Amino acid sequence: MRRNQGGIGVAPQGSYQAGAEEAALVARLRAGDQAAFRQLVRARHGRLLRLAGAFCRSRASAEEVVQETWLAVITGLHGFSGEAPLAAWINGILVNKAKTRAVRDGRMVNFSDLAREEGEGDAFEPERFLPDGHWAEQHRPWDALTPEREAGDRELLAGVGEALEKLPPAQRAVVLLRDVEGLDSAAICATLGISEANLRVLLHRARTKLRDAADRLVRG
Amino acid sequence: MLTCHQVAEEATEYMEGTAPPPRRLGVWAHLRLCPNCREYLRQLGRTIGLARQALAPPPPAEVEDQLAAIFATQGRPGAAE
Ligand SMILES: [Zn+2]
Repeated sequence: MRRNQGGIGVAPQGSYQAGAEEAALVARLRAGDQAAFRQLVRARHGRLLRLAGAFCRSRASAEEVVQETWLAVITGLHGFSGEAPLAAWINGILVNKAKTRAVRDGRMVNFSDLAREEGEGDAFEPERFLPDGHWAEQHRPWDALTPEREAGDRELLAGVGEALEKLPPAQRAVVLLRDVEGLDSAAICATLGISEANLRVLLHRARTKLRDAADRLVRG
Repeated sequence: MLTCHQVAEEATEYMEGTAPPPRRLGVWAHLRLCPNCREYLRQLGRTIGLARQALAPPPPAEVEDQLAAIFATQGRPGAAE
């Protein structure tokens, strides 16, 4: 997600100002520009589906939630204030739709229970460490991960996406909201109904697994 | 002195700045002396960057076309170009 190309940096909520690229996209969308809308759908659809998947128990209901989200985006574009990034606004709609739907279907994922389950046991396999607490293996530097690969190696970045989808649901929800979409901790805790302690445990476990997956991917 | 295992368990709290100062200091002191943990934390940090860039499969063409059709009828302010 690129935003704030104007050198302001990622502003906290309330003082967000869209970069030129995003402002232009929003203007085109409001003018009914088909190409701009298709560009937005291509950029966001898969990520929305991934995020919905953390809230919904079936692929079909995640797809319906994403569809409902796009309809709300289309009808709501003219009311979009620009006080938050477009992606964050769309994500907010999606999360609300996903929660509403889960409650209506009586299948609301209880993230607090999941957090407890997913936080049980050790975050690391015991064989990762020697009995004295040292790592069993040396971590070899990710020299193969050049900035170019980090930004544009589609196979690598798709592999990271697959690793995200393999995480248990509460870990997936937390890492998607925090590391992928950039929400702050308080907003995530409120959204998922979990404590800050839950959040930290889930984030730790998710990142630990993703780092191991990335280590394999980076080395090919 | 913390062990590597303890540092690995503290890594997220350390990176997020949520660890209480004494624990923070313990991790910091370990990292000064342990290149293996330094590398591990560096990789954890880069993993966040990779997660942000992670690709998701693009929508099927029929889904994109269907949404574009809805946008064409409802996404316009009324004025033709
Ligand atoms: Zn160490």
